[in-house]
Amino acid sequence: MTTADFVRLVRDELGLEVAEGDLDRDLDELGGWDSVHLLAIAVSLERHAGTQVSLPDLLTARTLGAIHGLVAA
Amino acid sequence: MGAKPVRVLSVGTALPGPPVDTAALAARFGMNRLWEQWVDTFIGTRSRHLAVDLETGRQRHTLADLGETAAREAIADARLSTEDIDVVVLGTATPDELMPTTVNVVADRLRIDGVPTFQLQSGCSGAVQTFDVASALLGTGAYRTALVIGGDVIARHYDVSADLHAVPPEELVNYVLFGDGAGAAVLTTEEDADAPVVRRVLTRLTGLDREPGQVLRWFGLVDRASAQAPAREDYKAIEESVPVMAREVADELLDDLGWKREEVDYLLPPQLSVAMTAKITAGLDFPGAREVSCVADIGNNGNALLFFQLRRLLAEMRGPARAIAVAIESSKWIKSGLALETL
Repeated sequence: MTTADFVRLVRDELGLEVAEGDLDRDLDELGGWDSVHLLAIAVSLERHAGTQVSLPDLLTARTLGAIHGLVAA
Repeated sequence: MGAKPVRVLSVGTALPGPPVDTAALAARFGMNRLWEQWVDTFIGTRSRHLAVDLETGRQRHTLADLGETAAREAIADARLSTEDIDVVVLGTATPDELMPTTVNVVADRLRIDGVPTFQLQSGCSGAVQTFDVASALLGTGAYRTALVIGGDVIARHYDVSADLHAVPPEELVNYVLFGDGAGAAVLTTEEDADAPVVRRVLTRLTGLDREPGQVLRWFGLVDRASAQAPAREDYKAIEESVPVMAREVADELLDDLGWKREEVDYLLPPQLSVAMTAKITAGLDFPGAREVSCVADIGNNGNALLFFQLRRLLAEMRGPARAIAVAIESSKWIKSGLALETL
């Protein structure tokens, strides 16, 4: 999944207004970010990238870029 | 409270079906291990009881069924008969039908007749509201014994065929947070040295100019094809406001009664979810009080919750002891609380 695809997924499926420049910002700095978004993004990633994501890995990810890295790796 | 104190003589409860754990929900909705782990971590509720059959979606229990069972248990535990009940008050957000009201269906099944009955349209503060109305009525001296009931059945909103992958976050949490159930209590002005005295009841609307934190809709012939979500939670507003409101309720109860924090033996905190209840309880800061919670095992069943906590409390509470209960309703932001004491 490309970075552009990932940003589009966050915007379309989570309804969060983010740009590629936001990928390295701490999740707490993103307006409206919460634990429900964490679940929603994980579910979306698994569906679109076809890979399993583990919660402990997600919990250590502090940026959207790090979450993208879990499926891009 | 009037000249004669109001006492909680007994409490009964009812749950539909067996406990439904998160793994069973995951299996039903096609969710994976990650989803289960997320529920465990961020919600914490282990099981809930549902009035719907998870496989067929068919409703197996009504609110009247559960209310009747809980009421019978409370009346039996009080060693009374239904003829002793002088007034009935029921609180619910989810009546079986708008008319006849569920309170009157339950009364009919219990063979209670010829007495005043009231039904409150209420959410998480509903149980306290039933105490408030019943205590006020008992305080007039016109009645001696009241049956109060609270419960909810979310079957109408629990779509077992829903695709949780496609449900927006504000609706997703509803599938794991909530459960069904009912509770009932017998309140009396009769002397009973062992029964806790209701020292204070607090219910207060504080939602002026605030958007509701929780919306539950009903649909009729004209709007039944409505695209509006039947149930919606502003969980962020709830996370932010409920701990603050809960603390304000507890502080007000203590101030009114002249009780010190360390003199409270039991704390019955709001039961939103395990994670939220832990956060709220920490903020309430009653270091010497024993927490009485049940949400981990039965989920958030709205108007019934406080009765489940009270049932556990009554099994333990022996005088002299003091208890504080707090419930916050996020629909239109209603504060509520109870203070009980055994001598």
